[in-house]
Amino acid sequence: MGELLRRYWHPVAGAAEFGRMTVKPVRVLGEDLTLYRDKSGNYGLVDRHCPHRRADMTYGFVEEVGLRCNYHGWLFDHTGRCLHQPYEETRHPAGKFKDKVRIKAYQVQEKAGLVWVYMGPRPAPQIPDWDRYYSRGYKQIAISEIPCNWLQCQENSIDPVHFEWLHDNWSRVLRGEDGPRAPAHQRLGFDEFDYGFVYRRIREDTTEDDELWTTGRVCLWPNCLYVGHFEWRVPIDDEHTLSVAWFIDELPGDTPFDQDVIPCWHAPITDERTGRWIDSHIMNQDFIAWVGQGVIADRSKEHLGESDRGVILLRKRLLEDIAAVAAGRDPKGVIRDAGSNHSLHLPLMGGLNHPAVKDGPRPFPFLAGQPVEVIKEFEHAWRNCTPAPEELATRG
Amino acid sequence: MAETASGHARTSGEAAEARAYGLTTDDLSDWAAFSPIEIYWALKHGLTSRTACRWAREGLRICDTVRAIALGMSPEEVRPWADAGFAPSDSVEASEMGIPLEAALAWREAGFILPDTALLIHEGWTLQEAVKARYEGIAHEHWYRSAGHAT
Repeated sequence: MGELLRRYWHPVAGAAEFGRMTVKPVRVLGEDLTLYRDKSGNYGLVDRHCPHRRADMTYGFVEEVGLRCNYHGWLFDHTGRCLHQPYEETRHPAGKFKDKVRIKAYQVQEKAGLVWVYMGPRPAPQIPDWDRYYSRGYKQIAISEIPCNWLQCQENSIDPVHFEWLHDNWSRVLRGEDGPRAPAHQRLGFDEFDYGFVYRRIREDTTEDDELWTTGRVCLWPNCLYVGHFEWRVPIDDEHTLSVAWFIDELPGDTPFDQDVIPCWHAPITDERTGRWIDSHIMNQDFIAWVGQGVIADRSKEHLGESDRGVILLRKRLLEDIAAVAAGRDPKGVIRDAGSNHSLHLPLMGGLNHPAVKDGPRPFPFLAGQPVEVIKEFEHAWRNCTPAPEELATRG
Repeated sequence: MAETASGHARTSGEAAEARAYGLTTDDLSDWAAFSPIEIYWALKHGLTSRTACRWAREGLRICDTVRAIALGMSPEEVRPWADAGFAPSDSVEASEMGIPLEAALAWREAGFILPDTALLIHEGWTLQEAVKARYEGIAHEHWYRSAGHAT
C-alpha cells in the first residue's frame, strides 16, 4: 500500500505555519523527516538526521539557501546536496568531500495554502488543481493527529449511511433530544469518475431529484473526502493519520475577496477535562468511530452488509491500483499533464458559487477548538463583504 | 460551450454540474435519464445514449455499463441476477471475478453480499473458511451449531 500512496502528493502542513517558524519535524509514510522553508522561500523536506553524525536536523537553522545542521554546520539544499562543510573546507579547501555526501530529500510544493510533499519515484505527477480552490470565500485549514491507520479513515469517505447514525442520530442523543430519528437511508449508488467515486443517497425525505442523488458527494482518490471542503487522511505511519482539512465559507456580496494567508490551526481530539474523545463536532465524531475500530481495524472480524458496498468498492479499487503500480502503471487519479491541470472540476451539490448563508457567520460545525483569532478574522471578512443596506436597495 | 445546459437540468446544482462538464442542452436532452457525471463518463467512454438506455433498463448505471461492455457482457446477462434478487451491478462484479450465480447464491445464503464474496474469493477464501472466520470469537459454539455446521 505504501508504494501506491507514494504515487501521490500529500498535504502535511499549512503554509501559514511557516510564518511563525522555519523548521518543522514531520513523520510521513513511516519516515521521520524535517520540513523547512529557507530564507529564499524554498521549501525542503529532508531526513530527520544529518548524514554527518546523525544530529536532529529539526534543530538546524535555515540559511539564504538550505538548512544547516546545528551540530557541525553542514548545510544542505532542498535537493539534498551538501553545500557547505565548514571545517572540512578549512582543512582541505580543494577537497570534494561535500560532493560525496547527500541527505535524503523529497519534493515539496505549496498550493492552496497547504504544503504538499511527494515521496515517490520521479517524475512527480501534478498536484491536482481543484476548481474549489478558486471559489470566493473565507478559507481555513485545520490539522489533527489521529491515532489509527489511514485506511479506516478513508473508508468513512464512501460510507453514506454512517452520516445518519454517527452524526444525525447520535448528535440528537448527545443533545438530549427525544424527538424522531433522522430520515433513514433508502437507497445508495456509486459512480466512478476520473478522480474518485461519487456516492449518492436517497433518504426518506429525498427523491431521485434531490442533489444528494443527482450530484452526490466525492470520495476523492486515494485518501480524501470532498463535500465542498476537503478532508485528507495522510498516513503518518501504519498507526497514525494526519487529518488535514481545508474549509471554505462563502461570503456575502460579490466584491472581490482576497485572503493573503489561509490560517492553519491544530484541532484537539481529546477533552482535557475528561480525557475522552471530543464528540461535539462532525469530524470529531468521525475520529471517534475510526479510533474505536482499533489502531489498525481487523477486517477479518467485520460483517459487511449492504451499507458497505462503497467500502468494498474502495478496497477493490485500491487492490487493483496496488497491482497497477506493481506492473509499472499509474494508479487512479494521477495527473501527469500540466497543461490540463487547471481548476479541475469536482462534483459539488449546489455548485461552486452558491450564496453565503443568510443569517451571518455560523459556529464552525466540523472541528472543536477553532481559535478565537480565526473566528474573529472570519467575522471581520463577513462584515467587510456585507453590502451596505443602501447598496442592496439600489440593486433592487 | 455551444449552449448552456441549464435548460434541461432538474436543479440549479445539476445545471452547474452540467456546465462544469461542458455538457450542452442537446447532451442533457439526449441523455435525459442520466446525471451530468454519468453523461460525462459515458461520452468519455464512447457510449451512445441508446446503448446506455438499453443497459439502464436492466438497472445498470453508466459506470457499471462501461465495465460490462468491456467484459463482453450482453444486457441479457444481467436479468438472471436481478431475478435472483441481486443488485444489477452484482452481475458485472460476478462476471469480472468469474463467480457463477450458484456460487453467489450459496455465499449470499451464508450472509455475504456479492461484492464482499468477490473480494473474499479473489483472496483465496472458501465459503467454509469465510463463515468460520466471520464468527471467530463471538459465541462460536452456539452460532456454528445454529448455522447447521458440524463443530
